[in-house]
Amino acid sequence: MKNGPIFFLSLLAALTFSWVGLALASHRQLDSLVPYYDPAEAKAFPEPMPGIAARGQLVYQDLGCASCHTQQVRRADMGNDIDRKWGTRQSWARDYIYQNRVQLGLVRVGPDLANVGARLKSATEVYQLLYKGTATMPAFAFLFSDSPLGAQTGAIAVGQSEGHQVVPTRRAMELAAYLLSLNSPHAYGPEAAHNAVKPAEAPKSAEEPKK
Amino acid sequence: MSSPSQAIVSESDKTARVPLVLLLVSAFGWLIVSTVLSLIGTIQLHTPTFLASCVAFTHGRVDAMQESAFIYGWAGNAAFAVSLWLLSVLGGTPLRGLGLLTTGAAFWNLGVTAGVVSIAAGEATSIPFLQMPGYIQPLLFVAAGAITTPAVLAWTGRSSDSTYASQWYAVAAIFLFPWLFSAAQVMLLAAPVHGITHAIVANWFGQNVITLWLLPVAVAAAYYLVPKLTGRAAAHYEFAKLGFWSLIVFGAWTGGRHLIGGPAPVWVSTVAVVALYLLLFHYLVVAINLPAGLFAWNGSATLRFVAFGLTAYLVNGLADVITSTHAVSQLLHFTYFSVAQSKLLLGGAFSFLIFAAVYEMGPRISGAKWPAPGLIGTHFVVAASGTLVTVLGLAFAGWSQGHAQAETANNFAAVAAAAKPGLLIATAGEAILLGAAIIAFFHLVRLQLESFSTASSSRETPAPSAP
Repeated sequence: MKNGPIFFLSLLAALTFSWVGLALASHRQLDSLVPYYDPAEAKAFPEPMPGIAARGQLVYQDLGCASCHTQQVRRADMGNDIDRKWGTRQSWARDYIYQNRVQLGLVRVGPDLANVGARLKSATEVYQLLYKGTATMPAFAFLFSDSPLGAQTGAIAVGQSEGHQVVPTRRAMELAAYLLSLNSPHAYGPEAAHNAVKPAEAPKSAEEPKK
Repeated sequence: MSSPSQAIVSESDKTARVPLVLLLVSAFGWLIVSTVLSLIGTIQLHTPTFLASCVAFTHGRVDAMQESAFIYGWAGNAAFAVSLWLLSVLGGTPLRGLGLLTTGAAFWNLGVTAGVVSIAAGEATSIPFLQMPGYIQPLLFVAAGAITTPAVLAWTGRSSDSTYASQWYAVAAIFLFPWLFSAAQVMLLAAPVHGITHAIVANWFGQNVITLWLLPVAVAAAYYLVPKLTGRAAAHYEFAKLGFWSLIVFGAWTGGRHLIGGPAPVWVSTVAVVALYLLLFHYLVVAINLPAGLFAWNGSATLRFVAFGLTAYLVNGLADVITSTHAVSQLLHFTYFSVAQSKLLLGGAFSFLIFAAVYEMGPRISGAKWPAPGLIGTHFVVAASGTLVTVLGLAFAGWSQGHAQAETANNFAAVAAAAKPGLLIATAGEAILLGAAIIAFFHLVRLQLESFSTASSSRETPAPSAP
């Protein structure tokens, strides 16, 4: 490796090759994904995230929720995600087209949240989870504040003590809206067709002409 | 054969003392910070209420702070220092542009400090390996440019056209990092791609930070230290070039392995798995070239660091292939097993090879002997036991977690209970690692204090320096 310029160019070429192959090729493939219009429902899926939910995603990011929760349902042959009712199908790239910064996650300390909006019944349930925590998740008490009992806060109280009630802060409301928005049950036509189980090959009949 | 306690100083070693010591002391300081954060994070995994009321120390933020402190604080500073020193020594030329280097090192550490504080304040990007907020990144990029310029000057101004494997790896790391870093900043932060492409680019960047920046520096150190400390040349050296290019070419494609079974196109993870298999050739070449280092368990403490680092490097390469297979991935994907692998690679392979390099270069850039040579052996024993306990604890936790998750009837409380014994073992390991980091930091500081007193006394009585 006596020739410095060729050495440097080769290094750059190796990096560029992988960048073109992975970053640009996947961008070219996935950038063309648009919402799928379902004529039966006369609607396009996935639906854009409401503004308050988009702000909730920022809360999700700054608290680092992705270090404990994934947001991807694996396909059936890669795990029991679907059996666990984390989704009715595997996650597809089209599910994420409205997300600027996807939160796929790397470790499941807690359950997958790709479709948590389908499992949570209401914002109150989310507040209870966040305020009290669970056996595997701490309470996020700093997302709630005290206000005098009976004060008009416009928020649902999650608890009360002498003369005070505990109400969610704006960040808690945004986070709850985000979590409730996470739900992608729709089977888009192209993906459903592509991933459908192919029918078993029909047995060859005796009359089949010999080639 | 040299011993780490010897102070053999040449002109090319000691001219860059100030910036290199600044990088090394900062690196070891960051290692303590990241180990403390890692300990907190591991405790939170089995005791979620630990520090839960403090928003700055929620598990997600602790994780992001720990990763940034480790990658950009400890590993980044140490990788810069070791690669600069190797290029200077092997190029037979003193480092030039030292003012630029010192300024770059100062601003790099300022940037990392601001980044970690910003994460605590809720500004994390939530992008793995790029957690520090976007407004910090340009500072880091410019500082990295200032730090790497003297390395390029050392390479272009080398005294001989012939080059060694150590130089290839060090130059590759120094040269590729700014490209990698700038591409990621544009595609992930400045003009971000969206949807799953964002995740693919983030994985490409995160994997290459390890494969094309940090690991090449560690391998460069191994190729320099093994022949130097054992007195035996690298075996079958003619394969070294192939080993180098196989890491650079195939390693760059392995990022998609974290996306197996998910929403990314299947070809992304398939290409990554194929690249992992092809990368086995690189590990084979390293094993063939450096058996003297791989089996140097009875050598000096520095050589034992090399042996541990190389063994961890090769074991992790095999583990990557095994965990990417369908059956194993189905069980261990998204578990603590992947955290164990990461600890083995970064805390075992990378860190141990860098420790060895620092024990060799420390006296040479400082012009003084290690004040307590026995402490190097103590550091090895503590660091090796801490790493083994942590990695095995996390691997056991991941294995138990994977099996518990595979039973659909188990809820997450049952899964957490299954993983808890392994996590408790890992917590003990992290505590031991904190002890190791403190030992290394204070030994390095003592070396610097010793060298100052040596320098003051030599001003009174000049002593000849070794060539």
